Amino acid sequence: MAANKPRTTSFSRNFSAASSTAPQAPGLKHGPNGTMFLSSGIPDLDKILGGGFALGSLVMVMEDPEAPHHMLLLRNFMSQGLVHHQPLIYASSAKDPRGFLGTLPNPMVPKDDKSRVHETEQEKGLRIAWQYKKYFGEHNSESQRDGKSEYCSDFDLRKPLERHFFSGQRIDCVSLKESADLATFQENCSSFLSQTPRDTGNIAGGRIAIQSLCSPQCEFSNKDWEMLSFVRSLKSLVRLSNAVAVITFAPSLVSTAFSKRLQHLADTLVSVKAIPDEDKELAKLLTGYQDMVGLLSVHKVARINTQVPAILEATTFSMKLQKRRSLILECLNQAPVDGSNGTSYASSGSCSGSSKTGGALDF
Amino acid sequence: MANALPSTLLDEALDGKGAAVFSTSPAADGRMILVEDCVETSGAFVVHHLLKRCLSPHSSDVVVFLSFAHPFSHYDRVLRKMGCNLSVQRDNKRLMFLDMLMVERLGRDRGKTSEDVFIALYGEIQKAVEVCLSHEVGQPITVIIDDVSLMEVDANGSSNLVLDFLHYCYSLAAQFGCSLITLNHDDVYSNEDRPGLLLQLEYLADVVIKVEPLATGLATDVHGQLTVSNKGIHDGSGKSRNKVHNFHFRIKDSSVEYFYPGSKT
Amino acid sequence: MAEWICRTLRDGGLEGEHAPALTINDTITCPLGSFVFDHFLSQLSSFIFCQKSQSNGIVLVALSRSPLYYEQLLKSKGFDLVTSSTWFKILDCYTDPLGWRSKLVESGSIRNLSSGSSLAVNICKNVKDLDELLSSILELGRELSGGGKGRFTVAIDSVSALLRHTSVSSVASLVSNLRSHDQVSSLFWLLHLDMHETRGTAALEYMSSMKATIEPMVQSVDGPRGNSENLSLMEQNLRRGKFCVRVKRRNGRVRMMFEEFYVEKSGIKFTPLSSENEMTAQSLVPKVQFNLELSEKERNDRAKVVLPFEHQGNGKTIQIYDGRKSLNDGKAETQPTSVQKVDSNRGEIIYFRDSDDEMPDSDEDPDDDLDI
Repeated sequence: MAANKPRTTSFSRNFSAASSTAPQAPGLKHGPNGTMFLSSGIPDLDKILGGGFALGSLVMVMEDPEAPHHMLLLRNFMSQGLVHHQPLIYASSAKDPRGFLGTLPNPMVPKDDKSRVHETEQEKGLRIAWQYKKYFGEHNSESQRDGKSEYCSDFDLRKPLERHFFSGQRIDCVSLKESADLATFQENCSSFLSQTPRDTGNIAGGRIAIQSLCSPQCEFSNKDWEMLSFVRSLKSLVRLSNAVAVITFAPSLVSTAFSKRLQHLADTLVSVKAIPDEDKELAKLLTGYQDMVGLLSVHKVARINTQVPAILEATTFSMKLQKRRSLILECLNQAPVDGSNGTSYASSGSCSGSSKTGGALDF
Repeated sequence: MANALPSTLLDEALDGKGAAVFSTSPAADGRMILVEDCVETSGAFVVHHLLKRCLSPHSSDVVVFLSFAHPFSHYDRVLRKMGCNLSVQRDNKRLMFLDMLMVERLGRDRGKTSEDVFIALYGEIQKAVEVCLSHEVGQPITVIIDDVSLMEVDANGSSNLVLDFLHYCYSLAAQFGCSLITLNHDDVYSNEDRPGLLLQLEYLADVVIKVEPLATGLATDVHGQLTVSNKGIHDGSGKSRNKVHNFHFRIKDSSVEYFYPGSKT
Repeated sequence: MAEWICRTLRDGGLEGEHAPALTINDTITCPLGSFVFDHFLSQLSSFIFCQKSQSNGIVLVALSRSPLYYEQLLKSKGFDLVTSSTWFKILDCYTDPLGWRSKLVESGSIRNLSSGSSLAVNICKNVKDLDELLSSILELGRELSGGGKGRFTVAIDSVSALLRHTSVSSVASLVSNLRSHDQVSSLFWLLHLDMHETRGTAALEYMSSMKATIEPMVQSVDGPRGNSENLSLMEQNLRRGKFCVRVKRRNGRVRMMFEEFYVEKSGIKFTPLSSENEMTAQSLVPKVQFNLELSEKERNDRAKVVLPFEHQGNGKTIQIYDGRKSLNDGKAETQPTSVQKVDSNRGEIIYFRDSDDEMPDSDEDPDDDLDI
């Protein structure tokens, strides 16, 4: 682990820059084992997953029925795709799914980019102080350097995505409420994915986002096997194309066996959880409780072309809204005595999980 | 024997000590091996291990691989890192890869029932077996299915159809000495009130390999534990040996380390 | 005892009586039923071979193991396979139980393949049709008995497979038809208990005259799998088991027997159970009127009861029943018994008045002299 640490800490940019074998769109980068990553739209999640979502993988997000955190993940995922001009297909059980596009966040406008880039890199590489991160302000601003979009943007959740991002690529919005079965949508996906086949040299990367697959207002929601069959077909379609599919579902709405089957189907499996409001116990226990909106757990990281499991140093992260704008993920810091003084260096040092986890993937 | 495969704890658990050197086929004499895993710890590496053993230069096995989970490229890359070239083996006709991810394989568009699809699939397997038998004498055949729970999805949830299919595959074992290796997910069935598919498979299997996480969770140096239980009476020497083995493992790209709990520093 | 069962199966049933039927049950924790099945099969085979039994032959319905397997079994027991067809016939429901193969052969995608067995084998191509199965069993039996009045034994391996393909009622009617058929001398089958709902297993138990259940010697305790104790238990359960037999006897009694058996390479070996436990008798005998022993719950409940003198003076009203309350405000208290609650969630003292005419003695508190 120690040996490849220096490399992994900086691989996010240098690695992709060094490899210029394939014609590469800005939204993609090379990962281990011949895989390509596209960004989840959340810089911290990319780091946790070792680079992002692998092309050809199926990502499942297990919802918390009490909190809409899965929407945050979906929004960032979709926005990032639009920023990279990647085609997108979005499906939900809402009547007018296109309305959801209006809620997508806009990339953060950097202030003094160029001067900070180097410093930012270094700071990220060392990953010294999770605790202090908030004091650095917008150090993550690598969104639109040189007028070109970067691999992963920071999104400002308060600003809607600018109009010009919506033009130029294919955006399909599908309502699952009306259709009695998933066959038509499956055809949609299939024709969508045929635009991004694996074997052509032109790799662009497409995104499929399906919100609340098993939501009860859909007619097919009681047909477990039909949904499984859909997910399985989608998985095999995605695997043979250059796209990533993100599906969220609420495990509480389906049987355990069905939920387990879906979890097995997922290449990458993530769950989100709400945290209790104004819980004094938790506030004492967790540093930064005030800014937390929820918890995110990573259960499975895609293992494409490899058999080695990615063992993360931490699997549960707190979701925070930094300055009420951008979504960040942090290792859960259990406060040793109180809050964030003195001791925080040690505790954050042991918790620099996200930067190290890349190493686990990258033997 | 210098270039014989190094025998691992898993091989020993399957065949007894030192047996791996003599019989390289992991599922000799038409055995059925069932691999059970769960969401937390995938058992795919066991399948890779067995596949590699079947295709090793020391055995003459022919493998029929039914993949419901991954495309060929995935296995190809994984096995290549383990020192086994699947593309070459496929060209040598030692590996027959049936990619069940292909849409046309399922034949839904042609209005076939899933039973028709499974019958046709079985026909393909038996045809492969027949071809092998006409080729040379004594080429053992191993049928690998990855994985059964996905097969269930293709059968529209009819576990009976899956069992019928597996029975037919298994019946090849008796007739031609074919072995059967299947992967299934344990946790999918744990909450069912009526025990179904998994229990049937366990009755059918001669060897059950269970892959689980450690009770203490995953760690970077121990990825989980394996429990191998050997139902058959396959001790060639007549000596009694352990039928149940339990050990830990750590998965690497080129191989998997197996060790007894606590024996690793 | 296993021997006793063998003899019963060998001797068959009396004229006009149902044939003795044995169900062999096992579960996945100790999945040794097939070994026991093989044991009975080979024992009966040797009886029949020596013509020591009522039946002239065996019809084996092979569902879960191949004819080839049984061929090997017979061979290992030293029987001559060539002449075996005069007393041993297999109805092969294993090779092509659903007719898939014949369908494929018809369409030309595969060649016809024999089951590879040199034994006399009839292939059944649709196990879902139990009527046809029954008639083919009987036909094979007639062949064995040479068309005469001779009888034969039927062995089904395993009923679990039949139950998967068909319904409980049709399997039950198959079994009952076989049992009542006057040419069937005896009948035995294997059943995996945990694979079916209780309805199915109960039906088959009802249809049988003898039930042999294979139980693990020690029931495993729940615990982590890596636990060495559990591992050795698993190991033990794959090697030996407890053989429990319940026999419905003609005179209306139920005979219970226990044995231990070991699986060895040559077969299985029965030994008398080392420690006979008498717990079985208890479940049959009706409970005595008074109970000398308390169960765990009863003991806990007793401990919770607050005795009347225990809370005197702690602020509560003293609630000793003095016999008058029920008379004064006894609206519903017309029953001969009266119940007084001390504290609903802490247990209670139940007082049964013997009869209505037992009136309270007097106004005097009987515990008047008790001062606490």
